[in-house]
Amino acid sequence: MKKGLMILWIIVSLAYGETVYERNCVPCHQKLPTSLQQMFKNYLLVYSSERFVKAGIKHYLKHPARSISQMSKLFLDTYGTKAPTTLSDEELDEAIDIYWEKFKVFDKLK
Amino acid sequence: MVLAAIALLSLYYYESQRKLMLSDKRATMAQYAYVQVKRLKVLHYFFPERTTYPRDPSFTSAIYDIEYNKIFSLNKREEHNFDDEISIKDGYIHFVKGLDTYYLGTRYLVIEIPEDKTWMVKTWKQIALYGGVAFVLFMLLGLYLAKLFLRPMRDSIILLDRFIKDTTHELNTPLSAILANIETMDKAVMVEKNRKKLERIDIAARTVSTLYKDLTYLTLEQEKENEDEPIDVGRLISDRVEYFEVLARSKQIVFTLKIDAVTVVMDRRKLTRLIDNLISNAIKYNKRQGSIEIVLNEKKLSVRDTGIGIAEEKIPLMFDRYLRFNSSEGGFGVGLSIVKKIIDEYGLKVNVDSKEGEGTTITIYWKGTE
Repeated sequence: MKKGLMILWIIVSLAYGETVYERNCVPCHQKLPTSLQQMFKNYLLVYSSERFVKAGIKHYLKHPARSISQMSKLFLDTYGTKAPTTLSDEELDEAIDIYWEKFKVFDKLK
Repeated sequence: MVLAAIALLSLYYYESQRKLMLSDKRATMAQYAYVQVKRLKVLHYFFPERTTYPRDPSFTSAIYDIEYNKIFSLNKREEHNFDDEISIKDGYIHFVKGLDTYYLGTRYLVIEIPEDKTWMVKTWKQIALYGGVAFVLFMLLGLYLAKLFLRPMRDSIILLDRFIKDTTHELNTPLSAILANIETMDKAVMVEKNRKKLERIDIAARTVSTLYKDLTYLTLEQEKENEDEPIDVGRLISDRVEYFEVLARSKQIVFTLKIDAVTVVMDRRKLTRLIDNLISNAIKYNKRQGSIEIVLNEKKLSVRDTGIGIAEEKIPLMFDRYLRFNSSEGGFGVGLSIVKKIIDEYGLKVNVDSKEGEGTTITIYWKGTE
């Protein structure tokens, strides 16, 4: 129920205005050569399920480190790791939920 | 025992064939899985530009994430056991391949093919063939061993049987001589004391004679061909009553005869044995100064005594051979078993009505009248 309301809210936010994801994630990633879609697939390769992918992203955003980054050595040498997030847990969860919904594989294969 | 052993071996053989088939399929399906993983890898790198799940005419497949959530499936059967690498259910074989690199989030790839049942048909045919041959061989071996072990026992039985036959035959001559001489003796001129002694000899000889006839019937005559003929049953009963009169008199037993003219078609020797045994038992188990009522009509022949009777629960057993309920009386316990054999042979029905301490009525119903 809670999850359903969250998804509904995300969809509404996407339709009617900027979301926490668009405000805090997209602007910086637009400048990088690796797309958010590609990064998402890197997470999928390692974490597999929704719960584990979200947990992996959240942990990295809060405690970024080369050792747990999903990006290549070349990328890290060029762009380094990001600064730890300043978003609250709620905002972070919301942004990651939007990210998941946007790029998830479920229901997209045919 | 033999069947259980064959069933157990068949089960073991079936299981081993099943495992062999699965092992064979495992190798094939592992190859399918390898190919499908490569295709998933390609799809992963081209996703979301390409979203068509890779298909193969040889198999179908499904992909699941690390928490067993279905990502996509083309399989007919959705239920999987992820713990077993290969399994069969509902006519499909599933092969579960665990991925180390989770392309599109895939942790488990499940390859599905329809179960090819030709191995099962072939196995059942082999089980039926070899099981049948084994069964016959076991039976022949069992028969041979049984014969081997039973030979000494069978030899003893044959020896005993021959001895009884010979002895029975040898009994006939002296017994006939005794009875014939008693018949010819003039009892009127005898003193009372000698006449009573002669009567006792007569009773003893007739008792032995009845026993002799029963044994002869069992050992020699029952296998003879029946010589069926119309018999005046009333007359036969009167003759036999007269024969047993001396025995009955010794216990002061009185006969009451209610005899109609009845003719039946039977072997005379057998009908005589039947009547003799009914009367002989009625005398043997009667009390002193008792009575025997014999009723003969178109429907039945019944012999009622006023003897010791028999408990209701023992009635079904009274026709068993060598079974005697009262050891105080002589005999081998073969009389009523002979009666039963004869009535069964001629398809007659018998009814026993008895009350302990009051007496027994045995009724034979002629065929078609019961």
